[in-house]
Amino acid sequence: MAVLRPFDKLPRLNSGVLLLVGSDEALQRQLAEAILHEKRDFNISIHLATSLPLPSERDHLRPRMDLVVFMIDIKSKYSLKNVETSLAYVDASFFLGKVCFLVTGVGRVNACSIETNAVRKLGETYCSPVLFCELELEGVRAATAQRLVRMLRICAGLVPGVSALSFVSLMRKSDDD
Amino acid sequence: MQRRKSSKTPKQPLSIPNKSQTDLSAWRKGAKIDSEKSLQNNQSADDQKCESQEGSLEQALSYFQKAQDSVAPKKKSVEQEHLDAVESTALEQGLPPEGFEILLKVVLSGRFADTVNTRLLKSLIPASVIPENSVVTAVSWLCVGKCSGNIQLLFLKWLITMFDFIDHKEQLNALYGFFFSFLQDEKLCPYVCHVLYLLTRKENVRPFRIRILLDLQAKMGMQSHLQALLSLYKLFCPEQVTITLPGKMKTYFKNSEGPWKAAITAVRQRNQGSSPLSQAVFLGTSQPQSRKRKWNAQLVIPASSASTKHLDEDREKSCFYLCSPNESFPVEQLQTFPQLLQNIHCLEFPSQMGSVLTNPLLLHYMNCVKDESIYLRLYYWMGQRLQEECPWCVVDNPYEEEFRSFLETVYKAECFLQEGFSACEEFLYKTLPLWDGVCCRSEVLRLVSWIPLSSFSDIKPYLFDPLAQLFFTSSIYFKCSVLESLKELLQNWLIRSVIQMDLEISSVNTTLSGLVNVVAELVHFVGWISTVAMRLENNSTFLLNFILDFYGTVCDIYLKYNLPLLIMPPAGVFYPALLSMDSVNLNQLCYIMYRYRANLVAAKENELSKKKILQFKFSNQTYQEYNQYIIAMVGCLWTSSAFQKDTHPQGLCMDDKLLSKTAVKEIKSSFNIVYHPAMMGCSIKFLQQICPGDTTLNFKLIKGKKWDWYLEYLYSRGLKGLKAFIESSISRVSQAARSKAGNVDV
Repeated sequence: MAVLRPFDKLPRLNSGVLLLVGSDEALQRQLAEAILHEKRDFNISIHLATSLPLPSERDHLRPRMDLVVFMIDIKSKYSLKNVETSLAYVDASFFLGKVCFLVTGVGRVNACSIETNAVRKLGETYCSPVLFCELELEGVRAATAQRLVRMLRICAGLVPGVSALSFVSLMRKSDDD
Repeated sequence: MQRRKSSKTPKQPLSIPNKSQTDLSAWRKGAKIDSEKSLQNNQSADDQKCESQEGSLEQALSYFQKAQDSVAPKKKSVEQEHLDAVESTALEQGLPPEGFEILLKVVLSGRFADTVNTRLLKSLIPASVIPENSVVTAVSWLCVGKCSGNIQLLFLKWLITMFDFIDHKEQLNALYGFFFSFLQDEKLCPYVCHVLYLLTRKENVRPFRIRILLDLQAKMGMQSHLQALLSLYKLFCPEQVTITLPGKMKTYFKNSEGPWKAAITAVRQRNQGSSPLSQAVFLGTSQPQSRKRKWNAQLVIPASSASTKHLDEDREKSCFYLCSPNESFPVEQLQTFPQLLQNIHCLEFPSQMGSVLTNPLLLHYMNCVKDESIYLRLYYWMGQRLQEECPWCVVDNPYEEEFRSFLETVYKAECFLQEGFSACEEFLYKTLPLWDGVCCRSEVLRLVSWIPLSSFSDIKPYLFDPLAQLFFTSSIYFKCSVLESLKELLQNWLIRSVIQMDLEISSVNTTLSGLVNVVAELVHFVGWISTVAMRLENNSTFLLNFILDFYGTVCDIYLKYNLPLLIMPPAGVFYPALLSMDSVNLNQLCYIMYRYRANLVAAKENELSKKKILQFKFSNQTYQEYNQYIIAMVGCLWTSSAFQKDTHPQGLCMDDKLLSKTAVKEIKSSFNIVYHPAMMGCSIKFLQQICPGDTTLNFKLIKGKKWDWYLEYLYSRGLKGLKAFIESSISRVSQAARSKAGNVDV
C-alpha cells in the first residue's frame, strides 16, 4: 500500500482533504495554519508529510486526498530531490488535476540554488501547475493559502461544472500553440 | 571650514527644501555642548542627544582632517571614539555635505588601516547631497593609488550607489578618461564599467575607447558589463560601433548597493518623515544648474541671436527668468507652462531623472524632446528601483507602502505621456509569475494597462499566462480588476493603433493585419478567461458587469477606432448575460448588441458602396454569429420563441417534448420581456400601476396598447440600451422591414 491513489476511497460530504508534502516542516505548518484561517464554506482537513510514501499502518483511517501540494524551497536542492523521489509514490491518475507544485523562496533571489526552469519543467512533466510564492512573507502566505483553498474546492468537486481535470488544463501554460 | 567651502562654490547654494538642517553652522551650535560628557549620558533627552551627536561629529571631522595633515596619532581609543561618532551620526541622520571631502580624503589616502577605511566608507551616507568637489578630490586620490585594492573597489561601489546624490557631474565627467584607464584592472573592471555607464555622454564616445573596449572584450570574453557600455556607445554613435550586441539583457551590472541601501532609506525616512521616496524624486529638481546634458547643437542655435534682444526686453518687462541662449535654464525655477515654452530651447533635465516623474512640466518637455538617452537614463533608474524594491520579490523589504506610491507615481506619469515605460514592462514580465495577486494589486494591474502593443505570442508567456493562472485561482474581486485593466489595455492599444494608422507608420510589425491580429488575440483571450470565470464564480452578476464592460469597447472597434475587427462575445458570456437575473446586465447586453449592429451595418454599407478599396471585410461567419445571437435575443425578449428558434450550437434550443415536461402552461407565449427574470420586477410594478386593485398579477394583460405602455415604462426606468436595441432590431421586424442591409437583420 505504498502508492497514493485518488479514487480508492469514498469522499466525505462537503469537505476537502489537502496533503502538504515538503521538507521544511515549520513553513509547512505555517501554511497549514494560514489555510485554516481562510474563510470557506466547506470543511478542510490538512495532512502534513515530509515525504512520500505515507506509512501504511493507519492507512484505513486516512481520508481520500483531494489535492496533493508538493512544496519546493528554491533555496534548497534537497527539497527538490525530496519531492522528486516522493513523486514515485503517487498514482498516475493523481496527475489528472489533483497535484500542484508550490515553489517558495522567490524573495531571496541571491540564495537560489534551484533554477526556476527546472521546477517549471517538473510541472510540465507531471502535467501539474506550478505556483511561485514567498511563504516567509505573511501577506503572501495568506494569499497563497487563499489560492490553494480555491484549488482544493475544485479538486474536491465542490464547484459545479468544473472538474479538477478541466481546471488543471486551464492552469497549464499553453505552449503547444 | 564652512567659509572656505562657500567661497569655493559660491554659485551653488544648497537649497534643499529639507526640514533637517545640514549646514555646518547648525552643527556648530551643537558643538557648544560638551560632547564628551553627553556621549556617556545615554539617558538624556532625544534632542539633546542629537545635538551632542552633531558636536561629536564635528570633533571627529576635525580629528580626521588633522590626522591626514600631520602624522596620525596612534591612540587607538581616540580614533575609535571618533569613528563611532561618525558612524552613529551617519546611520541616524546622514552626513552633512561638508563631511565628505574630509572623510573621502582620509579613506583614499590610505593613512589608516583598512578596517577603519572600510568602516568610514560604509558610513558615508548623505543627509542631503554630496558635493562634486569632494568626489573629484577622492578620484584624484584614487589615481594616486595609495589605498588598497579592496578600498578602491568599495569606493567604486559607493560612487555607483551615491551617483544620484552628487550635486553636479560636470567636473566628474571631465575625469572620464581617468575612470576609463581603470578598466584595465580586472577586479575593478565591472564596477568601472558601471561608473562609466552612468557618466557617459555622447562626446565621451571616441573611436579609441571603442577599440579598447573591443580589445577588452576579446580578452575577457562576453562580459555583461562590457556589453552594457558598448551598447550605450552604440546608442550614441551607431556608426562607430558596428558589432552586433544581444538585445535587452536582464541585468547588466551586479548590485553594488549592498551596505548603503538600507541606511540611505532609513536616513531619508527619518529626515523626511513622510514619504521618503518622494524626496529622492524631488532631490533632483532642487539642484541649481544641473549637469549639462549632451545637447543637440541644432537645438540651441536657432533660438540664439535673433531672439536675444527680444528676450532682453522681455526680461525688463516681466519677472520671467530668461537665460541667454548658451546658458541653461535651471530646472528648479521652472514653475509655469509659459516659462516652459519660453525656455524650451535651453532646458536641461535634472541630474536625477526620477524627478521628472513628478513634474508635469518636465514630462511635457520629455514628450517633445525625442532624445533616446533620456529614456535610457529613466529606464536604467526605474528598472533598478522596481527590481530592488519590489516587496514580493525581496524578503527584507518592509516598505510596501513606499513601493505602492512609487508605482502610483509611475502610472500617473505613464498616463500623462500616454505611453508605457519599458522598464515597467520588463518589471511586469519578470515579476508577474512570482506575484501573489494581493500585494499592490491595483497599482500593478494599472501598470499592465500600459504595456505597449507588441506581438501577442511574444508577451503571452510573460504576461497573459501568469495573469491567467492568477486569475483562475484568485478571488472574484481580483478577476474584476484584471478585466478592468485588460479593458484599459485594449483601449490603449486601440488608440495607439489609430495613431499609427494616421501617421501611416507601417513597419513590419505594425501593418494593419498585424494590428488586427494582436487586438483580436487580446479579445479572444479575455473571452476565454471570462467564460471560465463565469463558470467558476457561478454566473456572478458582479463579474458579468465587468465582462460586459469589456465588450462595450469591443463592439465599437470598427466605428470608433476604424479597425476592421468585430468579435462577438463567446456563448459562455452571451447566454449568461441574456438570461441574467438583473436588468442592468441585460440592458448592457442590449446596448452592446445594438452597437454590434451599427458596426456591422456600417461595414456592410462600406462594402456595398465600395467607396474605398477594402483591405479587409468581416467574414460571413461574423454576420452569422450575430444573427444567431439576435434570434436568441428576440426570442427571449419579444416573441417567446427562443426555445424553438435558437440555432446556436450552445444555445437554448430545446426539444418540444422536453419543454412540455416542464409543465409550464402556454410555453409559446411565456418567455418575453414581461416574463424574463430580469424584467419580472418591472412588470409586476407596472401591473400594480395600471390595475392597482388587482393582486392576481395577470401578466397576460400586458399586450396590445399596454405592451407599448409597458415599453415606455421600461424606457422611463433608464433601460436605454433596451430601447436602442428594440428600436433598431425589433420594430423593423414587426414593421416587416424594407431594410437596406437585409442580411444583417433578422
